[in-house]
Amino acid sequence: MSTGIVTTDLRKTFPARRWQGWRRRHVAPVAAVDGLSLRVPPGQVTGLLGLNGAGKTTTIRILSTLLRPTGGTVTVDGLDVVDHAREVRRRINVISGGERMVYDRLTARENLWYFGQLYDVPRARLRTRVGELLDLVGLTEAAQLPVERYSRGMRQRLVIARGLINDPAYLLLDEPTLGLDAPIAHQLRALIAQLAADGVGVLLTSHYLAEVEQLCRHVYLIARGSLVAQGSPAQLAGQTVRRHTVRLVLSVADPAVTAALRALAARHDAELIVDVDDGGRPRFALRHPEDLVGVVVTAVVQRGATIVGLTVTPPTLEDAILTLTDPAVMAR
Amino acid sequence: MGATFVRNWRITLRAYPWTYFVGTLATGVLTIGVSLLAYRAIGGGRVGASFTAATGSADYLGYVTVGAAALTFVTRMVLWVAKAQITEYREGTLESQLLTPARRLPYLVGVTAQALSTTAVEVTVLVAVASALGVRLSVPDPLVLLAAMVAATVAVVGMSVPLSALMLAAGEAHITQNTLFTAMALLCGFTFPTSYLPAAARWLGEALPVTWALRVLRAATLPGADVDPWPAFAVCLVLGGAYLLVGLSILPPAERRALHRSARA
Repeated sequence: MSTGIVTTDLRKTFPARRWQGWRRRHVAPVAAVDGLSLRVPPGQVTGLLGLNGAGKTTTIRILSTLLRPTGGTVTVDGLDVVDHAREVRRRINVISGGERMVYDRLTARENLWYFGQLYDVPRARLRTRVGELLDLVGLTEAAQLPVERYSRGMRQRLVIARGLINDPAYLLLDEPTLGLDAPIAHQLRALIAQLAADGVGVLLTSHYLAEVEQLCRHVYLIARGSLVAQGSPAQLAGQTVRRHTVRLVLSVADPAVTAALRALAARHDAELIVDVDDGGRPRFALRHPEDLVGVVVTAVVQRGATIVGLTVTPPTLEDAILTLTDPAVMAR
Repeated sequence: MGATFVRNWRITLRAYPWTYFVGTLATGVLTIGVSLLAYRAIGGGRVGASFTAATGSADYLGYVTVGAAALTFVTRMVLWVAKAQITEYREGTLESQLLTPARRLPYLVGVTAQALSTTAVEVTVLVAVASALGVRLSVPDPLVLLAAMVAATVAVVGMSVPLSALMLAAGEAHITQNTLFTAMALLCGFTFPTSYLPAAARWLGEALPVTWALRVLRAATLPGADVDPWPAFAVCLVLGGAYLLVGLSILPPAERRALHRSARA
């Protein structure tokens, strides 16, 4: 029996209908997931990245048994998610950012108590588990308030606690830090890392790429429902054309320096952006596959200008996503 | 089941003001009040021979009061049970429900148990109001009354589950529920005997378990109506059970359809 969540050639299409005159007619179905194969092993955080509409949320809904795949298979510890949905639900849970998922009229404690019962958590265990989770997400003091009086961040923290109520073996996180204050998001990231260290298999989608780079050992990058790349965050960043960005700020504007940098950019076929910073000082950003900081600084210093700010940004995961999911690149 | 029962009571106590309770009684009180006025002011306190022939009783006010109480019971129960899942869907909690390994039937039984406890209070108050208006009900046969209550519950739950699936599949509740309420009010014999209906409408009414539950209730509460309640009780259980089975079988695809709709949104 293979452990972990395993998808093989996973497909999901949605029927589509369009208005044609007075009637709605069926048109070609829309493929949300198209031949996706991935694995979420226990004890590590796996990333699932892609632009909006890439199929991340649909994939998570299939893995969590909410949607049935149109084709392919999904197993959780060897159990098929369609044939053994109830058993799979005992082993997994989902935390979604921006979704309701809890009852507004109930308090946090009542919500957790209710969901604990739906997951058949034994009463004695549930009593301690509810207290632990309220502590964990910092809602102990607000535990007796109806959720309708919570802020968005407090509500999201309760959604996180709900997702942990059954001690899931696998946790599917769909933008879990959406709407959270920085300290709470930081705390959640630490919690995710700890859960993985304790053996929980985590699948994470997030728009905060620093979060993915920090937490994920392995990342799947998808576009239009298909896998376009996979590897560690560093490997993914390295798969793309490197784009180093050199940013520099000068003390005063100098047309000679500007002309020199424009000529340099043209010579290297680099992208140059010229503007001013908040203090009105000239600012340059030069993007190129190679690190051009040496030639840029030489050109500026040779013309007697004073550099007051200089940064070099290496290629990032964001660059990789933008490049690898570019339709032109995908077509090649 | 117990968890859902407690959850629903908590939500009800926090969500609904007492004025809502008054509003739920208004239709029943109005039905009884208008019938009372018509009976006294227009009918001169007498009913026609056709009514007596159709019902086996001349107690029109008792007939209407029991019918109004039954209509209140049925509509309130349908609103609770049939709308339970579409309410979850609209409030964004259907997904978190369906993520759990909990089965649907215990959930629906929990919703039904809470609805029964609430609706029983509403019907009791309605009957008390009718009594204050001067309606005198005969003392029912307790065994037949109990059978009538069981039949009414089975009938309502049986009809509510497929209705719940329809609401989820269609993504709307008002048209579906109001169509059913209108059909029931016309076809089931709440305020007039079904024998007054055209034959086709009468057959439609016979297909609804509520019609049979109402016959058991009439047998328990209508003086002089020498009707054997048990055949109607048996038909009600069979029909209600059949509706329930159909409902439970179409509920999962309806849930998936609702999830599809939200996934595409």
